[in-house]
Amino acid sequence: MKGDWEKVWEEARERPVALVDCRQEIPCNPCEEACRKGAIRVGEDLCSAPVYDPGRCDGCGRCVALCPGMAIFLLDRRGGDGQAEVTVPWEMCGEIVEGERIWAVDGKGKVLTEGKVVKIKWMGGRWPTRLVTIRIPEERALKVRGVRFRENSVGSSEEVDQEYDLPEDYPVCRCEDVSREEVLKFLKMGLRSLTALRRSSRVGLGYCQGIYCQEQLRKELGMVTRRSEEETGMFKVRPPVRPVKLGRLGGVNG
Amino acid sequence: MAEIMSSEVVVIGGGVIGAATAYYLCREGAEVMIVEADDLASGASGACDGFLSLQTKALGAHLRLAMESAKLFPSLVEDLEVDIEYRPCGGLILATSQEQMKELRARAKALSAEGLEVEVLSASELKKILPEVGKEVKGGSYCPLDAQVNPISLTLGLAHKAQEMGATILRGCRVENIVVTNNRVREIHTSAGSIHSRRVVCAAGIGSNQIGKMIIVDVPVLPQRGQILVTEPQEPVLPHIVAGAEYLGTKGNLQALLPAEEEAMKLGLGFTAEQTKSGNFLLGSTREFVGFDSQTTPEAMNAIARNALRFLPWIKDLDVIRSFAGLRPCSPDGLPILGTVKGVKGFYLATGHSGDGICLAPITGKVLSELVLDGETSLDISPFSLYRFK
Ligand SMILES: Cc1cc2nc3c(=O)[nH]c(=O)nc-3n(C[C@H](O)[C@H](O)[C@H](O)COP(=O)(O)OP(=O)(O)OC[C@H]3O[C@@H](n4cnc5c(N)ncnc54)[C@H](O)[C@@H]3O)c2cc1C
Ligand code: SF4
Ligand code: SF4
Repeated sequence: MKGDWEKVWEEARERPVALVDCRQEIPCNPCEEACRKGAIRVGEDLCSAPVYDPGRCDGCGRCVALCPGMAIFLLDRRGGDGQAEVTVPWEMCGEIVEGERIWAVDGKGKVLTEGKVVKIKWMGGRWPTRLVTIRIPEERALKVRGVRFRENSVGSSEEVDQEYDLPEDYPVCRCEDVSREEVLKFLKMGLRSLTALRRSSRVGLGYCQGIYCQEQLRKELGMVTRRSEEETGMFKVRPPVRPVKLGRLGGVNG
Repeated sequence: MAEIMSSEVVVIGGGVIGAATAYYLCREGAEVMIVEADDLASGASGACDGFLSLQTKALGAHLRLAMESAKLFPSLVEDLEVDIEYRPCGGLILATSQEQMKELRARAKALSAEGLEVEVLSASELKKILPEVGKEVKGGSYCPLDAQVNPISLTLGLAHKAQEMGATILRGCRVENIVVTNNRVREIHTSAGSIHSRRVVCAAGIGSNQIGKMIIVDVPVLPQRGQILVTEPQEPVLPHIVAGAEYLGTKGNLQALLPAEEEAMKLGLGFTAEQTKSGNFLLGSTREFVGFDSQTTPEAMNAIARNALRFLPWIKDLDVIRSFAGLRPCSPDGLPILGTVKGVKGFYLATGHSGDGICLAPITGKVLSELVLDGETSLDISPFSLYRFK
């Protein structure tokens, strides 16, 4: 995989290239079906991770839109100015606009750096998905797994901490549609562990498995318990890390 | 370790059984402290289905206990402030062969003789209440009293109400030792200090064996893993809780209903399906003895999915978004272990509920509270004595 990334990094100087970060060996293969260039192969055994050849990729972005696990991104370094353009899928309902400043986050929802939205493109798929392209310093580019609104974000930088005052109806978890008010209700009932909070409030039990909401939940818990984020821990992500059709998992029509 | 606390009764474990016991104790005015190593519903009670299934219980005392428990749920819906998502929906067991049908018929007769209404349905009758089932399905048995609940909300609701009535809940606090002098419980040592108490209820789920060791009593409770798949939410389409006949087989170790395939046998595979209030399907499950390992495995996930499609082929296009595994506190015969132990006054067992703890929680809490406070129970619990194993 590492070798792949070096290749992606190099090729991205010439054209946008897909970066496939699907490490979990789970039964899933929409990426293979998405790619018309034959750059991604999952093969017979659906449980094996996809094999990807950056050399064949033309950067069309179909796989980015179709991967249900939001595990594929595009990297573009043609600018050659130390900035890179990274394209990520955006399946949240909030309005995102070109020119907007947003946070680029890693796989755990931690803020990596600030970026600017340079392009938004709808792409078909199971749900039409928006592909959001952001411009960020290139040394962070390989780590980006998503973006978050700035005003709602509760990242690690000082500026963000000051912005913490969120409204009660702020949606902590969009997949399961849980508001901050509901989370606070469970905290008031006395729940003090991330696991218990997650199980009862349902935050982090949806499609994204916590990529977008985990950080927020830990923050809420930390505010009440005054424990550091390390002490609060992280929650376990349970397979399938990416959603998969029941029929496929059960080996029917697949 | 500085603080010394005290309480009239200490309940070890904040799962559904501990929470129910604390709730019924508080209703009688007792002073209660729940000591929970992690957090409420962090054990089996937070990683299970919400079947309140009567027709799957063993004939005899087990069934009677479950039927008494079922009667208590409506009062909990009234009394608890949390919505426990109780749904008196009725339950189905589906047969995939004529042999299984025969077995279900025999069971239905025996269950009816014990006062539980169960109806055997032919394939065409089944169609009326569950329109689409797999081709293999030959019919099933329907129990109108079977129901569904959200086990996490139930646990939280009971604990929360107990707290409202004055119970103290110590979270992140592990029981490390129990001091017994002159044959009586005196003190409980925990990671957060000592608690003076003359009465202790062990509702520690799979931790019960460890607790037993502290008073030199062997409590035969072993962790039995069960894995479950969770799908994306859907409109309500599954009106009942549904299980396959093999589920009955692996659960009750009924020879005639055990799965035929070797792999299924190894996993203890049995089909269960329910749709939660939030719309997700929970598809189960397995019965595996693998120690304290609560990871999910790809083999089991595949097997559960494949098995589920035999019964409900139309769910094939649902996305599986998650899986989880829980550890059932399993006793040798699958029945709970309730009551006192010899030689240690003030120590009570409420454990070993195996795959039925959610269903049996209310009645367990009620009889335990009677036992602790009055020394006798309104229902004969001798069939659940620890000493039945010796
Ligand atoms: C996959 C699966 C599906 C199931 N489906 C159903 C169903 O549909 N219907 C049904 O009725 N039942 C079902 N069950 C069974 C049910 O979940 C259990 O019987 C029930 O949850 C047991 O409750 P408990 O309170 O005894 O144990 P737990 O919920 O495990 O609680 C025990 C608690 O004790 C604590 N503890 C342990 N040791 C210590 C210590 N030393 N100090 C302090 N605290 C301690 C633990 O942290 C834990 O929180 C299922 C179980 C599984 C795994
Ligand atoms: S970006 Fe297009 S060409 Fe490249 S791997 Fe994805 S689908 Fe294939
Ligand atoms: S998760 Fe995405 S990258 Fe991985 S196999 Fe599925 S579609 Fe392909």
